[in-house]
Amino acid sequence: MRASKVLAITLAILFLSPAIALAGAAKTTITLWYPAGDITAGAAHFADKTLFADFEAKNNVKVEAVALDYDTMIQKIFAAAAGKNIADILFIDTSWLPGFLKEEMLEPVADAKAKAWLAAVSPEIKELSDYGKGRMWGYPQYGIDVYGLTWNKDHFKEAGLDPEKPPKTWAEFREYAKKLTKRDAQGNITRVGYAIRHVGHPHGVVHKHFWAIYGAGAQLIDDPNALRGGKSMINTPGGKAALQLVLDMLDVDKSTSLNFPDPRAAFLKGIASMQISETVSIKARQPKEAPDLKWGMALPPVPKAGDKSVTLLGAWLYSVPKQAKNKAMAWKAIEWINSAEKDYELCKKYDASPRYKVNWDKEPFKSDAYDQGLKQLYPYGKKLPINLGLNGIMDAMGGAIQKVWHHEASVDAALADAERLANKAIADAAK
Amino acid sequence: MGSHANASGRHVLARFRARRILHAYLFIAPVIVLFGIFRVVPAIQTLLYSFYKVELLRGRFTFIGLDNFRTLLTDEIFQKAAVNTLVYVASIVPISAALGLILAVLFNTRFRFKEFFKAVYFAPMVTSTVAAAVVWWWMYNPQFGIFNVLLKLVGLPEQPWLMSSHMALPSIIIFSIWKTLGYNMIIYLAGLQAIPQQFYEAATIDGAGAIKRFWRISVPLLAPTTTFILIYNGILAFQVFDQVFVLTGGGPANSTNVVVLDLYRQAFERYNFGYAAAEAMVLFVFILGVTLLQYVYSKRFEVAY
Repeated sequence: MRASKVLAITLAILFLSPAIALAGAAKTTITLWYPAGDITAGAAHFADKTLFADFEAKNNVKVEAVALDYDTMIQKIFAAAAGKNIADILFIDTSWLPGFLKEEMLEPVADAKAKAWLAAVSPEIKELSDYGKGRMWGYPQYGIDVYGLTWNKDHFKEAGLDPEKPPKTWAEFREYAKKLTKRDAQGNITRVGYAIRHVGHPHGVVHKHFWAIYGAGAQLIDDPNALRGGKSMINTPGGKAALQLVLDMLDVDKSTSLNFPDPRAAFLKGIASMQISETVSIKARQPKEAPDLKWGMALPPVPKAGDKSVTLLGAWLYSVPKQAKNKAMAWKAIEWINSAEKDYELCKKYDASPRYKVNWDKEPFKSDAYDQGLKQLYPYGKKLPINLGLNGIMDAMGGAIQKVWHHEASVDAALADAERLANKAIADAAK
Repeated sequence: MGSHANASGRHVLARFRARRILHAYLFIAPVIVLFGIFRVVPAIQTLLYSFYKVELLRGRFTFIGLDNFRTLLTDEIFQKAAVNTLVYVASIVPISAALGLILAVLFNTRFRFKEFFKAVYFAPMVTSTVAAAVVWWWMYNPQFGIFNVLLKLVGLPEQPWLMSSHMALPSIIIFSIWKTLGYNMIIYLAGLQAIPQQFYEAATIDGAGAIKRFWRISVPLLAPTTTFILIYNGILAFQVFDQVFVLTGGGPANSTNVVVLDLYRQAFERYNFGYAAAEAMVLFVFILGVTLLQYVYSKRFEVAY
């Protein structure tokens, strides 16, 4: 009897011991999904396996960063959310926000935390973070995208232009582009003065022409921070002027061409003298792809002297999905990596511009010419609207731009059509 | 006694047969189950979704009857995608079949390096569509692409290819013909080699020339092969996606948007799963209709030899 009791207890201990051991050793794992490859410079640090080491040690958790294919990342996130098996932290493009918010997929940042963040960061980061009345859907990553005019200084010299003076107004811009354009003996353009993006995803087409649309006074939607409702403001004199500008450069000045579809690649290859896109991309690619290129960076031109320049701001965002299994720890990890100390440390290490006001006063950012150049552009930056119908608005506007520049529709007809489609998208999304 | 023995024998036979049937079903069960899970259930689900407003993340399904289909009728982008798809199918299916037949006739004769050239023509079929499309994207590049270099060499004007709303769809069709040609050639070649030689010999004795033999013997006797090629290519062409996604993304200005791409966008960019399901059902009806039409019509050309 005694022996059988001992045996029973021993067996029970043996049976339970693996479970006890596992329970003792088990660590919560926080998963973070980010885009693979060099889609954004801001994701580079996730490849560092020790990135979260301090946080992991302090909180007895493991943070696992998983790279996803960029092209199918939205679909994967959505499918995972539907399957209730999503990551705890999502590192997403801000332009994806409306789609995710339409599905009520993201947790907002707690009001107190949002208030503290908005008070501590520089104005451009505040602009990117605040979706109206201090509402935040995540923390923008450092090294934000700001669209700027970049020009080839050697081409400027060759065309008799001052390489340190970029065009400031649309009239100057057209004049410069004409002077910079080169042709072969048959009259075919071999180098454009200004390269335009007119193919690919309509969003990309709109992003690259945002400066002209907004600079001329048009807007994609009247209230950029409203999730639902509102109306499209693209079929306006400003919208028409923005489309006409490039149409005239194509047909009248012949200083640009549909045959140079990737402005950044054309600029880096030396077959375009000016282009307007994410400056961070040129900075990252130029040393490898065009080491001898001497380039300048400035605000996009304005319709006429005295007008205020407008350019596009974009960023990647740390956010927490509603279906996350470890929400509290996910927010803690996000707050840790987005602290002022980590911002300084990571920006210094990865040669990016910081977000906290306090870090802008420190070296190397204080004396870095590129960072200081960016600082001149930031005050003119605007982010994309957050309306739930944004995808439809962008499709409509992108389609209008393509139709006009491809000579399939007049400016008036294309914009009237785009306005109708955009308003339908806004109304449909609000249902 | 005799009838009892007969009854018992029948019973044994019936049991044996039942067991054999059971075994047969057990052997095919894995395939049937997997086919059911991955093909039949999603198809039924798609049909059901097409009558609902589907909000997957909220787990909300609102029955809206035929609303999704009604909206499709007035959706200009879908209409454009449907027309583009029809143009694509109507171009690629006959052209690819005709070129495949011509190549098969050429390869049905003896010449040096025949097998090598056959492999060359068949290679695109076994190449990943996405990988091939990326290469063709560069070949179509207005500045650096081989096509414009060749045009320039022969003194013709350079073309914008994928950059033009007017030329983008034909450019995709050219790529797709290149991709499917080899498969059609091989199928036609098999069909040609199955035709008994005595038909050709008899026709030759009767004085028929090569062209007459081709039109009077090869083409009619290849009718079942042609039917197969038209149906197979037609079904695939209606579902075109990869090359459009890679080469143009549906642009410029929706000039190459096709039904499957639009469906994908509705589902995964706009999260309108019910609407996307309705598009899928319309596409299914189209494919079914055209396939049935081809099948019924081709019955008239059935041959036996």
